[in-house]
Amino acid sequence: MNTNSILESYRLPSNVWDEMFTDQGVRTSYKNFVSAIVDMPPAEMTHKAEIAKKLFMSQGITFTVYSSGEGIEKIFPFDIIPRIITGEEWTLIEAGLKQRLKALNIFLKDIYHKQFILHDGIIPSHLIYSCPNFLREMMNVDVPFDIYTHVSGVDLIRDDDGKFYVLEDNLRTPSGVSYMLENRSITFRIFPDLLPKNNVRTVKEYPDLLYKNLLALGNRQRSNPTVVLLSPGIYNSAYFEHTTLARLMGIELVEGRDLIVNNNFVYMKTTKGLQQVDVIYRRVDDEFIDPLVFRPESILGVSGLYWAYRKGNVAIVNAMGNGVADDKAIYTYVPDMIRYYLNEEPILKNIPTYRLADEDSKKYVFENIHKMVVKRTNESGGYGMLMGNTANDHEIQNFKNAIDAEPRNFIAQPIISLSSTPCYINGILQPRRVDLRPFALFGPEGINIVPGGLTRVALKEGSMIVNSSQGGGSKDTWVLA
Amino acid sequence: MLSRVANTIYWLGRYMERTNGMLQVILTQYISSQDDISNFTWGPLLKMYGELSDEEINKIEGSSSEALKYMLLNPSNSASTLNNIIYSRENARGIQDHISKEVWQCLNDFYHFIRDGNKIKEDTLADPVSTIDQLIRNGLLFTGTVDNTMVRGEGFTFINIGKFLERAIHTSDITRIKMNELYNDKNDTFDSMKLRYLLNSLFGFEVYLKTYKGTFTKKNVLDLVLYNPNFPHSILYSVERLYKYFCRLRPESLPENYEHMEFLIGKTMNNVKYTLANENDSKSLNAFLSQTRLELFDISNAFNKYYFGNT
Repeated sequence: MNTNSILESYRLPSNVWDEMFTDQGVRTSYKNFVSAIVDMPPAEMTHKAEIAKKLFMSQGITFTVYSSGEGIEKIFPFDIIPRIITGEEWTLIEAGLKQRLKALNIFLKDIYHKQFILHDGIIPSHLIYSCPNFLREMMNVDVPFDIYTHVSGVDLIRDDDGKFYVLEDNLRTPSGVSYMLENRSITFRIFPDLLPKNNVRTVKEYPDLLYKNLLALGNRQRSNPTVVLLSPGIYNSAYFEHTTLARLMGIELVEGRDLIVNNNFVYMKTTKGLQQVDVIYRRVDDEFIDPLVFRPESILGVSGLYWAYRKGNVAIVNAMGNGVADDKAIYTYVPDMIRYYLNEEPILKNIPTYRLADEDSKKYVFENIHKMVVKRTNESGGYGMLMGNTANDHEIQNFKNAIDAEPRNFIAQPIISLSSTPCYINGILQPRRVDLRPFALFGPEGINIVPGGLTRVALKEGSMIVNSSQGGGSKDTWVLA
Repeated sequence: MLSRVANTIYWLGRYMERTNGMLQVILTQYISSQDDISNFTWGPLLKMYGELSDEEINKIEGSSSEALKYMLLNPSNSASTLNNIIYSRENARGIQDHISKEVWQCLNDFYHFIRDGNKIKEDTLADPVSTIDQLIRNGLLFTGTVDNTMVRGEGFTFINIGKFLERAIHTSDITRIKMNELYNDKNDTFDSMKLRYLLNSLFGFEVYLKTYKGTFTKKNVLDLVLYNPNFPHSILYSVERLYKYFCRLRPESLPENYEHMEFLIGKTMNNVKYTLANENDSKSLNAFLSQTRLELFDISNAFNKYYFGNT
């Protein structure tokens, strides 16, 4: 039998950093793993991939797509080949993220209080006030320990030079951490012994760290604060994650209708009457969280929650109003923030970004639009984007018109070629593009980043859009000790 | 415990018990249909487990395969087994953090088994008994998994309250239907056959044989299904269990709510215990069963009001 069959079929894409291979062969970090699978017959690999799929299905790690009145169960596609990050690479990522989050958190405190950064002219005021996610309601609200970004998921990508760049900061209600945990639990079932043999660092402590941080935010007058997770309910696509986290932390999973505010205190309705709630880890967006202050038609939130929060009677995680810091137009200023607040050079670089409100940038982008990706500043999930290299003239013209009308709402970036990594598809290894979302927890004792994260992969051949809503999948992410 | 969670978990218990009960009744009916060629009909069951008009029932009541497909697998029939399992799973999904992982996975497997469209349809047509047996086994697995993996807390209590309340209602319904068939049939040569089917529908056939040996009398059968304190499907047993689980809620309850409920359940339990139904008087038996049913519904409404916050 040809023992190298799995590897031989792999075609290295040109001008792209491949996570596993170089021209000279397998990277050192992957050698252990590759030697374990190289002798494996294709049938066994396929069998493993099927087992993984079945495990997701039978454990109900699914999301439901509602079409034609009937719910269809889908799993978030999982590729069995892990993505491996070396210890040195991780050290850099960790330091870079900590630095970045520290600066972003100070920025939020500053922007909702004295606004030094505007007075000193680092960021133009109109950019802040025109941002739809800047909440005037958060002005002069003091949040516990001055922490805004308790849970964040910063998306990183690797360009063809092998360096990591920040693609976007998700500081509102980033999701995906349950897949980091579940992917790992699937890997240790389908590849026995490989994790310890490779010295892979564990991600298990994530729920414990999160719970410890949540507990610390509870009113310090109470010995045993009540912490809950607020979910929009079973129809939310991340519902599985909400139940997983609630279960792993042993806290109550509540919906808006379970909570009530009385005299600026929050209570949950229990079989024994009302019980006071001290900390809410919410997975409901700002605009839906309190119909009295934000969208009045929302039934996902709790009337009066904002005032309870403002008075300090309940802690909310993440803080409201974080959207101003992960806005795509503000993103371009994060390196300046790091220099301004911390007096340090950014460890992790931004992708060069053109703000289209700036006339010169706009002109440059329009001239080079085929090499650009244009994004709306207030959308995510891979929507509201134009990939200049694949769009037709009509689409480009539409975008140009929209940009001329509202330049503040757009940014452009050169098309970065995301790194590729082998995926087991149709019985052979094929290169697919990936990004990385590590999850950071910011508590009173500092920032913790669990060594791992969610590697999202664009499963369509040639695609660079990794979002799950657009045909993306995920991989287990190994950080080596 | 959150009121919503209590309500959801209580209904999870009810749906699963309803599923188990209906499957056994349908299985028994199928087997009896193969014995009784002359005037057999699925009519009464189609009425009980469906939403068809009389005209539509007429069309399929003579065809076992049509009737079975409708009651077991039809997605547009809100009382079908398929929908019961879908509702159970939706409920379980909303309270995943209050049931054990094993319970969730067991229910999830049941759901995928019954959702496996064509396969199960073909199997049902090829050999209905095996398919229904497998469904029943999935239901029993669920019951056992609940029993073995769930912590004895409020969640476990509410799932059992739902289960035994549903079971008491089910037994009183099936007893009423089957006994009325027997009273309405002037030809009493088939009485013992009909009594057997009643026992089978309530999982009571073997227990009956062990208790009363091979003689089938109305009195003995009613004694078993109404009053036997050791037969897990008798009304008395179900209500006593309901009471027992309810008492566990005392420390978790507001005292006045607890008292209201305790009064209602206690009253029903004693009504069942100390009312002697006359097996030869269809009127008195019907009155007793209807009264019991009414009281069980009162209990359900009172839970809604005092524990689930639905007024």
